[in-house]
Amino acid sequence: MNQTLVSYLSQYTFFDSLLALFGNNQGVLTFVIYLVFVLIIVGMCATIGGLGTYAERKISADLQLRIGPNRVGPYGLLQFLADGVKMITKEDVMPNSADKFLFYLAPLLALIGVFATLAVLPFSSGLAMADLNVGIFYLIAISSLVGVAVFLGGYASNSKWSMLGGLRGASQIISYEIPVTISILAITLIAGGMSFGTIVGAQKGSPINWFIFHNPFTFIGFFVYFIGALAETNRAPFDLPEAESELVSGYHTEYTGMRFGFFALAEYIEVFVVCGVGAALFLGGGNLPLPIEIDIIPVQLAQFAIFMTKALLLYYVVIWVRWTFPRLRVDQLMSICWKYLTPIAIFNLVGCAIWVVVFNGHSVAQILGGH
Amino acid sequence: MFIHILFILSATLTLAGAFGVLATKNIMHSCIFLLASLIGIAGLYATMGADFVAVTQIMVYVGGIVILMLFAVMLTGGKDFVSKAQNLLGLAPSMGNKFTYSMGLFVGLVFVLTNAKLLWSVAFSMSSNEVTEAYPSTVNELGHLLIKDHVLAFELSSVLLLGALVGAAIIARPRKQ
Amino acid sequence: MINLISYLLISLVLFFVGVTVMVARKNIVAILLGIELVLNAAALNFVAYSKFVTNNLDGHIFSLFIIVVAAAEAAVGLAIVIRFFQIKETVHIDEATSLRN
Repeated sequence: MNQTLVSYLSQYTFFDSLLALFGNNQGVLTFVIYLVFVLIIVGMCATIGGLGTYAERKISADLQLRIGPNRVGPYGLLQFLADGVKMITKEDVMPNSADKFLFYLAPLLALIGVFATLAVLPFSSGLAMADLNVGIFYLIAISSLVGVAVFLGGYASNSKWSMLGGLRGASQIISYEIPVTISILAITLIAGGMSFGTIVGAQKGSPINWFIFHNPFTFIGFFVYFIGALAETNRAPFDLPEAESELVSGYHTEYTGMRFGFFALAEYIEVFVVCGVGAALFLGGGNLPLPIEIDIIPVQLAQFAIFMTKALLLYYVVIWVRWTFPRLRVDQLMSICWKYLTPIAIFNLVGCAIWVVVFNGHSVAQILGGH
Repeated sequence: MFIHILFILSATLTLAGAFGVLATKNIMHSCIFLLASLIGIAGLYATMGADFVAVTQIMVYVGGIVILMLFAVMLTGGKDFVSKAQNLLGLAPSMGNKFTYSMGLFVGLVFVLTNAKLLWSVAFSMSSNEVTEAYPSTVNELGHLLIKDHVLAFELSSVLLLGALVGAAIIARPRKQ
Repeated sequence: MINLISYLLISLVLFFVGVTVMVARKNIVAILLGIELVLNAAALNFVAYSKFVTNNLDGHIFSLFIIVVAAAEAAVGLAIVIRFFQIKETVHIDEATSLRN
């Protein structure tokens, strides 16, 4: 069933008192609840995006034996706000022969593609904004908008560097969607549904129930998903479209100030979304390791904290990988996708399907435990 | 109430996108208006409770076909394409006489009025008190149907996609000359 | 009330706009855009009938197959356009006049 935040909250008593406050007008109350939660989630994720830039600088500094930003605020925590102010006060330059409409549209499309995926992320078992029955499928579909945005950004700048960066970026994104989608398909097969509630709910209990330990195929699938998702967000060793040394910053060369800030923000939030999806699908995101069955608000908050911890741990790994590996060339990038990741992903899918049939969907731990 | 709002927004986006494809001369802009129209159609599917079809529409069209069109425009020099008789107003004087023009105007008026009446009646039938039940999901049903009743079409479409893939790669490959 | 007529009217307008795009544009890729609009109008029609008239999901299945076939046909059509460009150095539809070579 499609669940939403409002239908979850309507089981509490304070909901009726809120309803009376709005004159028994359920439509308006629904709208207000969604508005408040949208503002909370967007604000939280924008802060995570901003803190991501700070975290990147600090972690890279740590890996390179230096200190990183430590002047603005305690431990340099307010550095991202200072960066934001700097970006807003910059002059908004547009190349003379650029395509005005597409130049303005590209950063907005990137942000739309990323923020629309926040609606289905399973922050906890009740506090997901909309637990769609096609949840994970919707997320993959909407993140394809970022590919279009990268292409448009490259084209609309009307410069050779940007065009090349845009073409490479878009082709990279659409190529790596394939191993990512096939890995997610394997998980859907095992969990028995595409909704995040079903998938996270199937990993209840102790950490041995996580899908990453379910069978050897999903174990490999996690790494295929992780590498593919790194490439999809134009991140880590796959950031040729925005490489500083090869393409003079690629498809966002001609963007200044806040427009560039939109592209950067979209990238950092997309990394968070991808880490959140990885945590929810493979690492049992949001499930408490204790068998608590009562459904009260503190339990929901604990689940939220656990989900964020797992997602931010994966975020740390993403940043770590970026500053560890050298950048890949374009042909190496494409050959990794088509010659290695896609066959491995297809083999995983077939293997998971056979496993589900042969062992009736039990995990390795359940079989060893005697089922 | 939200169904009505979603319907009006999606319908407006769809029709505006479709007219945008028709109206702009720049082909890159036409592709982007088509993108908007396809997203609007996905929204219309969502108002009907066809959740799987809506998400498939976004995934295939937005993530695949629009990017394919954009690449094809880039590879065929389309962005610098100039044509003399490309806008409708340029074509129209050569197309007919008073009769055709008045017929065309009449048909156009009927279209605009019926669509305006449609959107207006939907807007006025909104009441903020009714809350629609959540639609039942169609995914399980579609899965059963695809494997039991329509399995032949399913398998044939996979062969069709294989043929299209191989054919497109062969037709468009660079020739050694 | 949203009923069947609403969706049929929208798909009617989409169909006619798609046909006009196919007729009135001179760039071959633009003609392919018009074809996509026409196919989407038909798919919308099918799903609308499936929801309001019958109570099975055959309309959804058919729309899924329309989407699949449209994708395959767009891919092959664009490959042909690219080959055409390699030969004739333009994508103006009036250059597609000879049936050989």
